Amino acid sequence: MRTNVYLPKLAKVISVKEEVGGVRSIKTFRTQFLDGGFTHKCGQCAMLSIFGKGESMISISSSPLVKDYLQFSILKMGRVTSAIHDLEVGSIIGIRGPYGNAFPIESWKGKNILFAGGGIGLAPIWSVLQTTLLRKKDYGDLTLIYGARTSPDIVFKEELADLKSKMKVHLSIDVAEPEWKEFVGFVAQNILDKKPSPENTIAITCGPPIMIKTCIKALSEIGFKDDQIYTTVENKMKCGIGKCGRCNIGRHYVCKDGPVYSWAELRQLPQEY
Amino acid sequence: MDKILAKKDFPRWLEALGAYDVYAPQLIDDVWNYELATDRKAVSLDYPQTAIPAKKIVFPQREFFFEFREADTDDYKLKELLPEGKPTVIFGVRACEGKAVTLTDLVFGGEIADDYYWKRRNAAVLVGLACASPPSTNCFCLSVNGSPHSKEGLDVLMTDLGDQYYVEILTDKGKKLVSEGGAIFHEAKPPDKKAAEKIHADSEKKLARELKNIKDVPAKLKGMFASPFWDDESMSCIRCGICTYLCPTCHCFDINDEVESQTPLAGRRVRTWDTCQFPDFTMHSSGHNPRPDKAARLRQRINHKFQYFVEVWQNYQCTGCGRCITLCPVGIDIIKVVEKVRDHAN
Repeated sequence: MRTNVYLPKLAKVISVKEEVGGVRSIKTFRTQFLDGGFTHKCGQCAMLSIFGKGESMISISSSPLVKDYLQFSILKMGRVTSAIHDLEVGSIIGIRGPYGNAFPIESWKGKNILFAGGGIGLAPIWSVLQTTLLRKKDYGDLTLIYGARTSPDIVFKEELADLKSKMKVHLSIDVAEPEWKEFVGFVAQNILDKKPSPENTIAITCGPPIMIKTCIKALSEIGFKDDQIYTTVENKMKCGIGKCGRCNIGRHYVCKDGPVYSWAELRQLPQEY
Repeated sequence: MDKILAKKDFPRWLEALGAYDVYAPQLIDDVWNYELATDRKAVSLDYPQTAIPAKKIVFPQREFFFEFREADTDDYKLKELLPEGKPTVIFGVRACEGKAVTLTDLVFGGEIADDYYWKRRNAAVLVGLACASPPSTNCFCLSVNGSPHSKEGLDVLMTDLGDQYYVEILTDKGKKLVSEGGAIFHEAKPPDKKAAEKIHADSEKKLARELKNIKDVPAKLKGMFASPFWDDESMSCIRCGICTYLCPTCHCFDINDEVESQTPLAGRRVRTWDTCQFPDFTMHSSGHNPRPDKAARLRQRINHKFQYFVEVWQNYQCTGCGRCITLCPVGIDIIKVVEKVRDHAN
């Protein structure tokens, strides 16, 4: 059957959870398609439609092993994401996708995985984290180094508390707070502080552009080679299929050829992200 | 077999194309453009370069994707608004524009094809007119793997022999179109072919502009990404975007929702042409902009056409029509920019 790539499928919001309040609010939404749907891979994105407002490309944060729903954790930022934040359980949205390449997690079997994220940057790597955790026997040590500006800005607070019994979790905040017992400083500094071993390890990093750059530098400093470091890039997108022309980094369209890159690949491309 | 069509019979051919929408260059409000020919008898193939290239017929400036309508409190109805794909013939397509359509075909095709584009594209028959003399003083098709009589992308190529046209049928679509004319077409004879070939050969000598020795430009551009060259070259740009809107190969677009009713919510999702020359084009909602200034945006335009597209498709994304030179309000000249890149010391 012919499918029109620009026509979204309708989906219902089945849960809304506020992760972070305030002006830089983050909410997690779970959605179910009304009819049909798609299967995604870790690291892929979907184009969410709020009819009357437009579309926004959001990474899918749930694991492909979870079949009941798709999960998106979204920072309230522009016109569409603000409208998404107004959604309630039962609201109908449009979803098209999935778009982009994926983290090559099958080829990482037997390796340790280090996750390094900042702020909302945990969302794009959360699907990999959940998937490797569900298939823990296939992978070596799993470690998370995650930071936010302040402790209320930390996403997935309950899940992180739960995660501590299953894998190494190192948290940080940028500026000291009286009750804070863990690391104070940027994620890159925490990487240098914890010095995870690069041996047989893949590092995945995601966060704001500046955090990605500093984390990659820190990882390189402690011995990670370029092809051991992965990241997921974002650029403004409209079509999601490499045609509208705006998300390119050199000859690559992030929506189609990305968003997942090893540092070995990304460093070959111009710095336009 | 190539055909001959007497000029006096040209209107009869158009009359015979009742099943087609016919587009041809027309002068409306002092501007030449490919427009729907409501009076087919008035169509003439004596015209300069149009302002907007023929791409607008297969990739319109504005088109609707679908209609959305709130059905009740928690449901929506979506109605797909695909073009019907009515047979369409475009007369007077220049060689550079026919070739340009083969390039937009690459972009809108591939694994994930764009249905809206292909509905129109598959229904369109492109009838070219070889340029006996350059339609613009800035034509440079020969420098970018083209020619004034290139057949690329065309279904039929016509060459003006004075009081008749030499008609080359290039595809099945073209064959059908010519067959609609029936007996008004005659078999071309060897002297006709010779005459057409002479016009083609002469036309190649008449181009006023050229862009020589650019085979190393893609590699050169790669090394010039961080060069202050782009600041200097883009200084005069006023960010109007005309260079890209009127380019036959540029394909960038925007997608937005237009609301027609608030309660119940109803409207349409619309695609419009967009340009890499606007700051908003790449600006993230956070305010971060990967291409923050005119230098980065001019570099993107040149790099896309002479490096990135070449890397992916082994062809320049420029067919040498010269519109971006002729119509730039501040005189930025793509030929001069690329020549400077070519001559730039690494």
